[in-house]
Amino acid sequence: MEEKLLTISQAAEYLGVSLNTLRRWDESGKLVAIKKDGGTHRYYREKDLEIFTSDLMRFASEWIQDGIEFPGTFYCPTSSIFNARLTKMESALMQKPGFEKLYSLIVLIAGEIGDNSFAHNLGKWPDTAGIFFGYDLAKGIIVLADRGLGILETLRQVRPELPSHVVAVEVAFTEFISGRAPEKRGNGLKLVREVITNQPFDLFYISGDAEVRMKGSDKVFRVTRGQRIVRGCLAKIEF
Amino acid sequence: MKLQLEKFGKTLISRELGSEAFKAFQPTLRELPKNEGLEIDFSGVFTLSPSWADEFLSPLLNQLDERLVLLPSDNLSVHATIRILEEANKQSFKMQP
Repeated sequence: MEEKLLTISQAAEYLGVSLNTLRRWDESGKLVAIKKDGGTHRYYREKDLEIFTSDLMRFASEWIQDGIEFPGTFYCPTSSIFNARLTKMESALMQKPGFEKLYSLIVLIAGEIGDNSFAHNLGKWPDTAGIFFGYDLAKGIIVLADRGLGILETLRQVRPELPSHVVAVEVAFTEFISGRAPEKRGNGLKLVREVITNQPFDLFYISGDAEVRMKGSDKVFRVTRGQRIVRGCLAKIEF
Repeated sequence: MKLQLEKFGKTLISRELGSEAFKAFQPTLRELPKNEGLEIDFSGVFTLSPSWADEFLSPLLNQLDERLVLLPSDNLSVHATIRILEEANKQSFKMQP
């Protein structure tokens, strides 16, 4: 039986992007459409769209690095939309075998990282407001990213002497400091570090050129200087 | 007085919403007799984050001190959050055994 094809409008709705974006992606080879019998109409296999949307890290990195558009289904322009999507993820995760109790710690980590992006960039987003929030619970991966000020610039508002992205990220994950002083804040990333250390979860986190990789059974919190400088923050949680 | 935290939601995540919840609770808190404690019941809450709790439980602890009592919970996010708040505030919550 021939596989049912989606029209370009159906594919646009599926991905949450405009028709023009799909045409552009087809021309550039990023997401190639099917054309029946040499016609001009574009069609898409649902399976291809599924595969296309599964590369969460690529969408998030390309977006924060070069501002490249990603499927709108992953975009949370406001914190209330983020909260609604997080709640949806929570209900799905608590059904996953083995995660009946652990789900709340994963939601806590994703919630803290996502909420930080909104809290620290409110009224200060350099260009696009909001965050990328994608997850694949079957694969056990959550990706969050923002094109905000990043940890260094945020913390320099209270500690102007911070010398580098690496030191700033280290401070954010280890000290009770807030980029919104005199408000008392800044316990979220400390708890993220603690939970990742003690639970079977991995974390990859970047801001500026600072990278945190906590992976495997012998997890040590360490911030290193990476090869590239990214805008805002990017986090990948694996479980 | 017993407060069922789930009345503020089952997924308690953002600072903003924690702060809103604290403000919304103030009129009820004013009715609490001076000699009575406030018990926080976590049952029904799926996820409690340190950001939300820092805007709600930390100021309650300041206001009520020993009169604030946390009821037992088997939720992992509740445990983790309470631990980090105690560390950040350098003050322990009174827990009901």
